[in-house]
Amino acid sequence: MPAPTISTENLTRRFGDLVAVEDVNLSVAPGQFFGFLGPNGAGKSTTIKMLTGLLAPSAGRIQILGLDLVSNMVEVKRQIGVVPEGMALFGRLTGSEYLNFVGRMYGLDRETAARRTAELLDFMQLTDQPKALVTDYSHGMQKKLALAAAVIHGPRVLFLDEPFEGVDAIAAGTLKTMLQRMIARGATVFLTSHVLEIVERLCTHVGIIHRGRLVAQGSIEELRAGVEARSGDLPVAVGAASGEKLTLEQIFLLTVGGSRSNGQELSWLG
Amino acid sequence: MHRPVPDGRGRPSSTVRLSEDDREMTPSLSLAPHARQQLAAVAELRWRIFANSLGTFRGRMELASRIFLALAFVGGGIGGAVGLGGAAWFVLARGNAEWLGGLLWPVFLFWQLFPLMATAFTQNVESANLLRFPLTYRLYFLIRLAYGSLDPATVVASLWLLGIDIGIAVARPSLLPWATIVLLTFALVNLALARMLFAWLERWLAQRRTREIMGIVFFLFILSFQLIGPLAAVYEHRPVPETRILGRKISNAQRPLPPGLAAAAIAGAVGRPLGAGGVGASMLPFLLLVSYGIAFLWLLNFRLRAEYRGENLSESAGRKALSVALPAVRLSWNLPGVPGPIAAVFEKELRYLGRSGPMLFTLIVPLFMLAVFRSSETSEGLFTHAPGLTFPLGAAYSLLLLTNLSYNNFGADGGGTQFFFASPVRFRQIMLGKNLAHAAVFCAEVGLVWIGTCLLYRPPSLGVTLATLAGILFVLPIDFAAGNLFSLYSPSRIEAGVFGRQRASLTTVLASFVIRGALFGGAALLFWFSRGYANSWLEVVIFLLPAALACATYAFALERVDGMALTHRENLISSLGRRSGA
Repeated sequence: MPAPTISTENLTRRFGDLVAVEDVNLSVAPGQFFGFLGPNGAGKSTTIKMLTGLLAPSAGRIQILGLDLVSNMVEVKRQIGVVPEGMALFGRLTGSEYLNFVGRMYGLDRETAARRTAELLDFMQLTDQPKALVTDYSHGMQKKLALAAAVIHGPRVLFLDEPFEGVDAIAAGTLKTMLQRMIARGATVFLTSHVLEIVERLCTHVGIIHRGRLVAQGSIEELRAGVEARSGDLPVAVGAASGEKLTLEQIFLLTVGGSRSNGQELSWLG
Repeated sequence: MHRPVPDGRGRPSSTVRLSEDDREMTPSLSLAPHARQQLAAVAELRWRIFANSLGTFRGRMELASRIFLALAFVGGGIGGAVGLGGAAWFVLARGNAEWLGGLLWPVFLFWQLFPLMATAFTQNVESANLLRFPLTYRLYFLIRLAYGSLDPATVVASLWLLGIDIGIAVARPSLLPWATIVLLTFALVNLALARMLFAWLERWLAQRRTREIMGIVFFLFILSFQLIGPLAAVYEHRPVPETRILGRKISNAQRPLPPGLAAAAIAGAVGRPLGAGGVGASMLPFLLLVSYGIAFLWLLNFRLRAEYRGENLSESAGRKALSVALPAVRLSWNLPGVPGPIAAVFEKELRYLGRSGPMLFTLIVPLFMLAVFRSSETSEGLFTHAPGLTFPLGAAYSLLLLTNLSYNNFGADGGGTQFFFASPVRFRQIMLGKNLAHAAVFCAEVGLVWIGTCLLYRPPSLGVTLATLAGILFVLPIDFAAGNLFSLYSPSRIEAGVFGRQRASLTTVLASFVIRGALFGGAALLFWFSRGYANSWLEVVIFLLPAALACATYAFALERVDGMALTHRENLISSLGRRSGA
């Protein structure tokens, strides 16, 4: 079995009294398309920030590509690409200036950075307004640019925090194509998303975090089997017909206990 | 029922059938009960925001500041009212009622200009928030008209008008009713104009390009105040008839404007009751004043209606054409001998600076000030007595203007700061790139100041030039080292393209003053000490020794930046990255 690309041991983060992430033990194998799911406030963004060096863990250990993150911060960052929450763009550069800048920050020479910038802008269909500043881009264009910046140096691991949030179907299609190409060339992708249909279609493996704790991890089939094995009645509780396969959304709801009773009503809506 | 639907820019483009709900949103002539509830809800919202803000220390400090300011405004309002009332009594008692215009102009200017200065060009999103709710247009108009009408400028200016009214009444009791009507109308015209200006400013500030243009106009406007002194000095020495001609020209020019019309309407009624030939002299300017008010309200209505209909002020870049070939991308800058990441940061900093209109204009201020000092210089002026100080003082002033850049390195980066932590580049390299860019800007600025000094005064001596440059070598590294620390410890987000809230944090600004005070004091001491030897080269050597020490201090501090940045990364990211992509 190959050494995991991403692994954590008892990863914990506290903000004062609040434990945002507690004893998370993740393991993501090379080449996996890993979806990291959880309800709002579960600790997804906190975890991804710690995995990318944007936030210091309170306790625990992180290894990326077999390297300890804390002691090999720069080397690890050279190997990874990140689309963080908020995208981390420089609004007053044009798209090409931004990609050129990012390329050089990752150590590409000027010619390589310019060539890849041109290719990425073309691939992401961001060539219409070469003089437009990033701050004037639409949200979808900014997402595409952020993903382009994350892959310009050819990372071996890609971390994406909500890459499909606020993105239209056309832009989402472009992002998905890009991610699938990354997987095809052997990269590992770790993403958080609330769009479970996309995660189900793209991801081979899933981790579910709830109230700061990792409550499930494995392939979607493994998770489905695990949920079904726990109780035969559960699928019915989330509306699945007998013999029908549970969707990722149903697995998710059953795992985090998020399904509401049908009897619950709003007084004025009946 | 059909109503035009705006095409996204407030223009009607097609018609649709209105539902019953939609019909409620069309303007009506009366305030329905639910409209009163909405007004009450808006008032309660304002109260809740205020009350909740008191839960924080900052909110309580804000309240204390407001109380202090309110007392100051009331004091200014009452004091001004007494002064203006006395002046009104004086001009009427002397039979110079037409001079009332001279009293109404300050009121007018204060009423219109003070709110613009006080709000410092910040964006107001209140209207967008209000429009989410089912308000009728009439109610929306009323709320926008009333919103801000009780601001300090209105209160103070109203007190001043009351003072003028009382002064008129004391001097000419029979004039009181008419003067009250005219001054009340004048107040309403001011109110309508102020609201109208704000509504249009909001629209222009809603988009980046128009916002930057407005910022530059505002900046030039502020700078133009600096010219009042030199201009006054110019006319002070002109012969009296020439000054009188200018005064007459100004007097004629102001007559058709609201303060001139209000003054004319009151002056026309002096000694001529309205029914006895005073009608033409009083009513015509009064009606013109009223027509100003109507025009302002119409312009306000025009703007608010566009807002209400849902105009599209999106700044998103639209799609123009499909690409057929790879776009031509320019190579990034090549700085010989400088590592790629440092060169990338250097280039990024200068591109940011080049696209920040306000920042660029800040950089021409030293030259502008040199010109202002030159034009107002008298025989007792500092630079006349000590011309050798012009260049060093100009250079020191240039450094002060760099505070926003060098003491708040990441302020303009906003959410982009997060990228620096995600990238495989050490923070010392990022800081070095930024410092090099700021040093380049400063050197260019010092070069401009030197040229300005040569052109406006006389070329500084070689000794002064070299001593100043050596002094810069002493001051700049320590200043940058301190700036780097404060950039990490006390970051403050700034918008590079707009005016208002463009300062580093108050703590940083105060600290920078203290540090620079010490540095400039040290440099001045060295300058004084070295002058004693009357040898230019010795002066340079005397400065170069502490400069070497300063460079070592800078290098020492830079070595420690990586650890500090990691320690403060959460604060930096959260303080600077609250809005994405900006």
